[in-house]
Amino acid sequence: MNKSPGKTLCGALLAALLLAAPAVHADSGAALKADEIKTEPYRDASTVGRLAAGDKVEIVGKQGGWLKVKSAKGSGWVHMLSIRRGEARKGSAGSEVSGLLGLASGRAGTGQVVATTGVRGLNEEQLKSAKYDEAEINRLTAFAVSKSAAQAFAAKGKLVPHQVEYLPEPGPQRTSEQGENLW
Amino acid sequence: MVTRTCTTLAGGLGLLLCIGAAQAFDLGDALKNAIKQPQQGQQQQKQPSNADLLQEGIGVLAGTRGVSETEEVAIGRQIAGNLLGAAPLVKDRQLQKYINEVGRWVASQSERPDLEWHFGVIESKDINAFAAPGGYIFVTRGLYQILQNEAELAGVLGHEIGHVIRKHHLKLLQQSKVVSLGGKLLARKAADGNEQVQNVIGSGAEIVARGLDKNSEFEADRIGMVLSARAGYDAFGLPEVLQQIGHVGANDSSVALLFKTHPHPDERLAKLDEVVDDRFDGLKGQTLPGRFYKLKP
Repeated sequence: MNKSPGKTLCGALLAALLLAAPAVHADSGAALKADEIKTEPYRDASTVGRLAAGDKVEIVGKQGGWLKVKSAKGSGWVHMLSIRRGEARKGSAGSEVSGLLGLASGRAGTGQVVATTGVRGLNEEQLKSAKYDEAEINRLTAFAVSKSAAQAFAAKGKLVPHQVEYLPEPGPQRTSEQGENLW
Repeated sequence: MVTRTCTTLAGGLGLLLCIGAAQAFDLGDALKNAIKQPQQGQQQQKQPSNADLLQEGIGVLAGTRGVSETEEVAIGRQIAGNLLGAAPLVKDRQLQKYINEVGRWVASQSERPDLEWHFGVIESKDINAFAAPGGYIFVTRGLYQILQNEAELAGVLGHEIGHVIRKHHLKLLQQSKVVSLGGKLLARKAADGNEQVQNVIGSGAEIVARGLDKNSEFEADRIGMVLSARAGYDAFGLPEVLQQIGHVGANDSSVALLFKTHPHPDERLAKLDEVVDDRFDGLKGQTLPGRFYKLKP
């Protein structure tokens, strides 16, 4: 970030282009359940084929709650929640590796080395033995953002608020927990 | 609450913590101790306050008094401080500012827009997120690093915000009937520490290692999608993250706590699928990949 303005700009543009590219190109996946393949990412678009549970698909695009897929049953748009992606994201930084490095540097700075293992996760033992850290909670508090500042941040990103009702609870006939209660 | 591991989130996202029903810690005893200690100390000037506290406790037990927001925040702050003791904030001011901007905007779409919300990315390679009462929300570095855009972050934070606004963790604590008293004690003893509040929440931040019931997690998922949509984001950021988390092997230690405290991501996605239908189809939410703050490796 402290490099020359030209390089920074180029880097930012490149990053933006890379990020803007469909993050899903050529991912593989499979249908979690039977669903229709639509010509457009809309519920009332015409149907070009039907996926059965387990059918393999190639994910080539995404729009909102819809995935664009290619499959033996046809190509088109399917509800995102009907598809299970076949592969995990290969994090650009590699969350495993960067996590290790990050932890090492972060911890070195805090002087809190009580670790029983070299690499720290958050297991129950660690949480149980955790000691209140006043300095850290004060740092956290200092980062708080006001409601108006958040609004300005949203406006900068052209985020437009919408009125959306909360989703209903799943019906009892499909809710195993509730079904169990009946018995 | 931090209490919950939000693992839920992504699968883990659900991370949040849940104070689960299986509470190893006995709140009743903690309450008794909290009341007894001053008496045993024979500090006569504290006797009146003990009486007040007992009165207060009776009120709580009788269900006549809820937990005030001040108490809720005091409890949340204690839990958050403990969690930070185990996993400090990532030392990146821009990152912490960014997550607070996104989080506060999403929280502003909830029914508690004026709560003092706090968001932080903490040092842990685990994939998880946590919420504590009163508006304290944390995402681990491990989870942050699998996110690809701002809408996904909004979805994860929205899930945790859901736990806070529906007071999932607080309700679990209240089931033991002593949380209100604990908050009162905390407020009184703010100067010399939080030992009494700590007695109410258990050891350290263990409360975040407990799980909430499944329905609380499913509810938080639904809220996460809705708050994201209200904030102008693509509502499917959270499901995207859940799909990613679903790919992490169950034996991978990075999701051990998340998977222990949350239903599997596949189950969470299926639950969302039952009610989402075409409800978000008309909205053109943004994902903002270009603005998403990339964490330096």
